[in-house]
Amino acid sequence: MQISDRESHDRRWMGVGRSSQPDSRAAAAEAVRTAQTGPDPKLLVVFAAITHDAAAVLAGVADAAPGVPVIGCTTHGEIGPGGPADGTVTVAALGGVGLEVSTCVAEDVTGRQADAGYEVAGCVGRVELPHRVLMLLTDGLVRDQESIVRGCYRALGAGVPLFGGAAADGWRMSGAYLFKDGQVLTNAVIGAAIASEAPIAVGVSHGWCTVGQPMIVTRAADGRVLTLDDRPALDVYLERLDAPPEAYTDPAAFTAFALSRPLGVQRRSGVEARNLSTEVDLEGRSIGGGGAIDPGGLTWVMTGDEQSILDATDSACQDALDRLEGQEPIGMLTFSCAALRAVLGDDGIQREGERLDRWAGSIPYAGFYTYGEIARNHGIDGFHNQTLAVLALS
Amino acid sequence: MAGLAESLYIQQLVELLAVVSSSTDETSAVQNAVERSAQALEAEVAAVVFDGKVTASIGFPPGAVPHEDIVAVTLRQRSELDVPGLGSCPAVTASWAGSNPGHLVLARWDAPFRIEEQNLVRGMARVLELTLTMLRTLAAEHSIRQSLEQRQRLLEHLFTIQRAISRREDLQQILDTITIGARDLLGDEIGLLWVRDEPTSSQVRLAAAAGTRPVEPADRPVVDLADASVAGEAIVTDQVVVRHGQAAQSRMLKLLGPDGVHASMAAPVHDSGAVTGALVVASCDADRIYSPADEQTLRAFAENVSLALTDAATVVRMRLAHHDSLTGLPSRRLFLEQLAQQLAVVEADGSALAVLFLDLDRFKDINDSLGHAAGDQLLTVTADRVTAQLRSGDAASRFGGDEFAVMLSRVDGPGDATAVASRIGDALGKPMRVAQRRLRVGVSIGIALSTAAGNDPAELVARADLAMYEAKRRGTGGYAIYDASLPGHGTVPAAHH
Repeated sequence: MQISDRESHDRRWMGVGRSSQPDSRAAAAEAVRTAQTGPDPKLLVVFAAITHDAAAVLAGVADAAPGVPVIGCTTHGEIGPGGPADGTVTVAALGGVGLEVSTCVAEDVTGRQADAGYEVAGCVGRVELPHRVLMLLTDGLVRDQESIVRGCYRALGAGVPLFGGAAADGWRMSGAYLFKDGQVLTNAVIGAAIASEAPIAVGVSHGWCTVGQPMIVTRAADGRVLTLDDRPALDVYLERLDAPPEAYTDPAAFTAFALSRPLGVQRRSGVEARNLSTEVDLEGRSIGGGGAIDPGGLTWVMTGDEQSILDATDSACQDALDRLEGQEPIGMLTFSCAALRAVLGDDGIQREGERLDRWAGSIPYAGFYTYGEIARNHGIDGFHNQTLAVLALS
Repeated sequence: MAGLAESLYIQQLVELLAVVSSSTDETSAVQNAVERSAQALEAEVAAVVFDGKVTASIGFPPGAVPHEDIVAVTLRQRSELDVPGLGSCPAVTASWAGSNPGHLVLARWDAPFRIEEQNLVRGMARVLELTLTMLRTLAAEHSIRQSLEQRQRLLEHLFTIQRAISRREDLQQILDTITIGARDLLGDEIGLLWVRDEPTSSQVRLAAAAGTRPVEPADRPVVDLADASVAGEAIVTDQVVVRHGQAAQSRMLKLLGPDGVHASMAAPVHDSGAVTGALVVASCDADRIYSPADEQTLRAFAENVSLALTDAATVVRMRLAHHDSLTGLPSRRLFLEQLAQQLAVVEADGSALAVLFLDLDRFKDINDSLGHAAGDQLLTVTADRVTAQLRSGDAASRFGGDEFAVMLSRVDGPGDATAVASRIGDALGKPMRVAQRRLRVGVSIGIALSTAAGNDPAELVARADLAMYEAKRRGTGGYAIYDASLPGHGTVPAAHH
């Protein structure tokens, strides 16, 4: 029994390692060594706190696993067993003969988001095993991330699920970094085609509820909503929520208020949450964030609390695990929104971690707090705000 | 939240129009339409076909587009598309005519397209037709600036209509808004909306009018299709009909409008796919000539009336699904929703509610001996008498057969609930006049009170049901309260009549 478990583990395995050592190089090397729990490593996914020296992190990764393909990014907190953490290097390793990986990168993304997405999707053509997913890591400070995902869809069509997240920089909003083998990149997209002999599945969920009457986007331009119901969008949004006076005039107060109150955009299968907190426009009184909202769009103000967000944690995990066609999972990647972290608070994210622990059971999982999540099973869209996105491998 | 999904269809059409009509050339308009329509319907595949060729598509990798299969969908030779990685997906298609006729095709994994969605796809095809016509004719005839202004005015009118629909405003207001909007947008004096009451009726009713002499709602004319001029012809042919000069006149327009109509135009209106009416504009300007672009604008507007009508029909259908058709009381499902909401309220403020489960005694005997009509009448009277005993905030439901449930939204304890049960028993015990007879009907009532926390609506009803059986076991015309602390069914006898 032991042997057959070992054998089946060795065909496809995932391991997770974490280090909170302050020295970036040593921390990365330690995390990689812990994560390498099987033979024939195919991919290392590195999540590093923005406080680390990115080049030193990659040097440490190369020390511990020379020649193994590496992708990764900086975070707004690293997710893993033992709970969410700050200041760590957390690494997920995938390997075994039953897995196949191909990675690529597109640079200078701003202004050609869709083309960059189309380019990185090319790596899917270089893997052959039947169950495939394209994992994307994007620069969270690049605008119009939806177009990157759309570009991938144009290249791949409906048959390949998409999963990923946008690199974060611990709310500094000055620069997030992507990792590809030895390179530290900005304004880039990284694609990793992961193929397996067993099912791979994507799940996603948000925990927000709509409040009051819908509002119609009556003017929009350049990815921003200028008016809702023919009045300045920012004022309509704040009035609907009975915002405190300072939220109307102070950018920091607006951000703090909007973090836990996304704008809901009506879609066929439900209301999609958009985070308004990062792109503040107190002069033009417009609102924006996380992709275009078109004129005619039906929108809502939304609120949520710890309970509804944790319920969404459950449904995202369940969604992904249910799609494994009954196969035993070997690991999960869990990408949660940085804005949810602000709503949940430090205690709340520990409880989110406990939920993830419960779903993972004995299998490893790792991820990070993102500036945007990517998850597509059906339809042509897949860029999300304020959700938990889960990739489950079997 | 239920019901808002319906207003989604018009939202999606307006969004599509906003995005597609901002395109500056045909290629990008078509590609935008493909992606936006797939997005709106959460479809994996969308394609546009011109002259038997796929000119734009999404959902297949480049080089793997099944051209022949997609064209076969437009010819209605196929109703599904094979999508790699997903398998066979239900497909839907809609066509448009005009100077550049084409087809829109969509395919979606798992969920077939519902009738409302097929309407939406038809509307999307019209939007594409409108946009392509604007790009071709307007850009050629006028300056780009004028065409952008026209688009902006159309959008503004559509926003107003969309807002009215999404807020569930009165249907008449929505129809008035649309009719006034069509008239204003085209800059004419008169706007009319004619609607058939039944899908196959040979008559139409004037549903809304703008710019005519005042017409009282009760006096709105009903005329034969043959007498409805352009409107009648648009309904019969399912095409836009335009008349200039003398031909634009009609007896009806003379009756309704100011003198001297010189041009009139009608576009068909659909409800769930069938032609159900026509939207008409008419002008008193002797020089008024309707251009192809004007025809497209009216069609776009008529498409919005179609969605409004489909939407209103949906509201009626939803009401039927949520209410018992005989008594008009909420259905079991709606009752459980109301109960769940009220449970959250009482749990939060530390109060309690009660559920009463009612079962008429000897109903089956009455139904069998006097017939179903008498049985139905008895149930209607029962529903009225039960609701007469309730306060605002309380709710009653017919669960089916002779079973009713009542929610007492706030009670101070078992005493409150038994008092209401007693009143209901008395009210139902009074003679009823049914099928020329005086009948007395007994009722057995089970009572269950909510606990401090963790109440499940269905469980609470099940407890009341259990208590009802206990009441029935003890003889007719009584009630019993569920008590979890006692063995057996957990009920204690309350007072008997």
